[in-house]
Amino acid sequence: MKNILFVFGLFVLAAVFFVACNDDDFPTQLDIALYDYASLDENGGQWRPVLLSSADQIAVPVPAAVTSPAYQAELEVTRSAAAGRNADQEAAAHYWGVNSTVRWNEIARELAAKYNLIPAPNADGTYPAPNPANPGEYPLFPFAHPPYTARMLAYLSAAQFDALIATWHYKYAYERPAPYVTDPSIPVLLPKNDLPAYPAHEAVVAAVSEVILTVMFPLEKDYIAQKAAEHKQSLIWAGVNVQSDIFAGDSLGRAVAGIFLARASADGMKQAQASRQVSDSLRDAAQEMFGWHWENLESPQRPVGLTPLFGQVKTWCLPDLTLTRPPVPPAPGSPEFETAAQELRDVADNLTTDQRAIANFWSDGFSTYTPPGHWNRLACEYLVNFKMNPLRSTRVMAYMNMAIMDAGISCWDAKYYYHYPRPSQAIPGFKTILGIPNFPAYTSGHSAFSASAAAVLSHFFPADAPRFDAWAQEAAESRIYGGIHYRFDAEAGITQGKAVAVYAIQRAQADGAE
Amino acid sequence: MNRKLLLLPGIMASLLAAHVRLCAQTPTDALMMNKGQICVAVAYTHDTWDHYWEGALHRDNGNIGTLTRQTVAPMFALGITDRINVQAALPWVKTEASAGQLAGVQGLQDFGIWAKVKALDKPLGPGDFQLFGVAGFSAPASDYLSDYMPLNLGLSAYEGTFRAIVQYQLDQGFYLRSQAGYHLRSNTEIERDFYYTTHAVYSNEVDVPDAISWDVVAGSWLFEKALRAEARVEGMNSLSGNDIRRQDAPFPANRMVSTRVGAFAQYYTPFLKGLSVLASGSYTVSGRNVGQSTAFTGGIAYQFGLWK
Repeated sequence: MKNILFVFGLFVLAAVFFVACNDDDFPTQLDIALYDYASLDENGGQWRPVLLSSADQIAVPVPAAVTSPAYQAELEVTRSAAAGRNADQEAAAHYWGVNSTVRWNEIARELAAKYNLIPAPNADGTYPAPNPANPGEYPLFPFAHPPYTARMLAYLSAAQFDALIATWHYKYAYERPAPYVTDPSIPVLLPKNDLPAYPAHEAVVAAVSEVILTVMFPLEKDYIAQKAAEHKQSLIWAGVNVQSDIFAGDSLGRAVAGIFLARASADGMKQAQASRQVSDSLRDAAQEMFGWHWENLESPQRPVGLTPLFGQVKTWCLPDLTLTRPPVPPAPGSPEFETAAQELRDVADNLTTDQRAIANFWSDGFSTYTPPGHWNRLACEYLVNFKMNPLRSTRVMAYMNMAIMDAGISCWDAKYYYHYPRPSQAIPGFKTILGIPNFPAYTSGHSAFSASAAAVLSHFFPADAPRFDAWAQEAAESRIYGGIHYRFDAEAGITQGKAVAVYAIQRAQADGAE
Repeated sequence: MNRKLLLLPGIMASLLAAHVRLCAQTPTDALMMNKGQICVAVAYTHDTWDHYWEGALHRDNGNIGTLTRQTVAPMFALGITDRINVQAALPWVKTEASAGQLAGVQGLQDFGIWAKVKALDKPLGPGDFQLFGVAGFSAPASDYLSDYMPLNLGLSAYEGTFRAIVQYQLDQGFYLRSQAGYHLRSNTEIERDFYYTTHAVYSNEVDVPDAISWDVVAGSWLFEKALRAEARVEGMNSLSGNDIRRQDAPFPANRMVSTRVGAFAQYYTPFLKGLSVLASGSYTVSGRNVGQSTAFTGGIAYQFGLWK
């Protein structure tokens, strides 16, 4: 009996050990400590916007004076709400914190991951497509694949940036102080600063984000609206704004977002998922010109690749696609091709644990935020580490995401122009450890997205340029380890991404912020 | 294209069926080695499916075709005393898909060790009532990746198992047995630090749901105890986790449920005392987030005395 007790005692100890080791409380968001802004960018209202003709294109009414009875009444509302805030309200104020652009980026990435699922085949072997006119019917709209997500993040960031330039303009035009300046008795939860409070920049960010994301993810309308409402209300709980600051910010944000949505509705994305006929003609043209073409190898075969005409979507900073179109890839069967193919076989046959880990780390496939989302995540950590204010933050994100989208457009132009087969198609019997994307190989999208993002981030955070470059190289290399790209796909993608980024960086250098 | 989870219930069931049973002694049966006796065994399991459950949706997948999982499981069971046995197993697994481009995997899966204790053995009416407790532990035996379903070798998680077995056996050889076990599982480490289940997670660790497993068995000893034959129903249920989303790959955090029916036979050869061969088959009749697998196992076991 003693033996039995001893054995069971051991297992009880083992159980305790297990429970102790099994921490299921995983992070779902970036942990952001409250911080003081490294700069306030008082002249930010003079920066050059992306789409707005000028910072005052959208009119914002003159606010009531802080001495007026109307303002005093608003001040009392804020004071009593801040004084009476409960733990949940305090948590909300902390969550939105000092840089809500990071939070909205996080929400956008989460929605991208949620909607990044490719349509399943019908029972008869055909494939359905998402229908924006009926988003709730399977397959749900959108399918947030990498081009979709790149574009979504570009509109979100660029609209936030323009709206905050306008916000800064009016802040310093009207100079309405923060509630806690007028009434020092307000218990403020967030770090105080000298930014004028009208219009409320956080409300601008909430409104822009709500309008853009609702169009990008129509089924999430209620969720997004609830987030935006909480965001705006949290400004009162935190004691940093009065209602008219928020109202003005909300109106401004909606108006600016509308200008970006007007561009989005006509940027060519609606036509990107081309018809079978157009898709076949691209394939036939490549076969005619180069003597090869890419084929989807899934079963049942997907008749049209992913967004064959994404290469015709309107770019942000890149003036002409021919500037960044890569040279013709080596023909299958050529010595250069055989060298690349042999490398893939060698890698697959001798894959190390490190190589496998790199392939998986950067895979960013279905049910993830895609490579553009991965770089947004990395960039957000920099915004926080560098204690950037929201305007400065959206500047980084806007240029990075415009460059990423332009790189995607340039890459897709090459993909469907060259229509180059994937290794699994060109190398008999070749197996991979990653799923094979539904579009041609050359150039590598991961490489182009990553190189463009790394180049823009290197411009804004030059001390870390080697690090960004190493990440981009690793992301490019990861596709070789995964068996889904030749080295020349990756190298051409890197070159292309860097070349595209030059135009975004040039624009940043000339926007008045440097 | 991770489909690992689909395999797990099948794996667990077939592993238990295979390596555990060979010695005529597994963590789920009512057999014990006497003190000083050891049973060494090896079992081969061939497990395939061409349909799986994506959440509740029963489907096939042209990019998987038929998924085959082969397992070779060496194991031993040792009688420490007449009432306490120790068992261990180290399966080697190979997976492949008949369609699609995803590469199969092979390698050592998890090393498992169990202690089985006979807590009660009482004559009752025309037979004998027995109660056993089993506690075990398993750990990944190689750096295989759980985040490669359904071609993964296993869940790559540490697991503690606690099990109770009851059996009532008539003196003439017929028996009824049932067992239920709790599988306490650690997180599994994956090679990326972001994933989506029902929400975004920024971590390279994934919570592998704890599970319960159970079976109900009717069997009999025949031909003067030369042959043992059983029919069984068995199941595995994750206690938490999410469904595979439409056209998504399975993931170690899925809630996996399966119910299987099967048969098992073990024959003690007249040629060599202690030598037996065994065979079993099982079929998944219902499930959720698992492959509808059909598994066959064949094995050989040899039992002999190490000390008195």
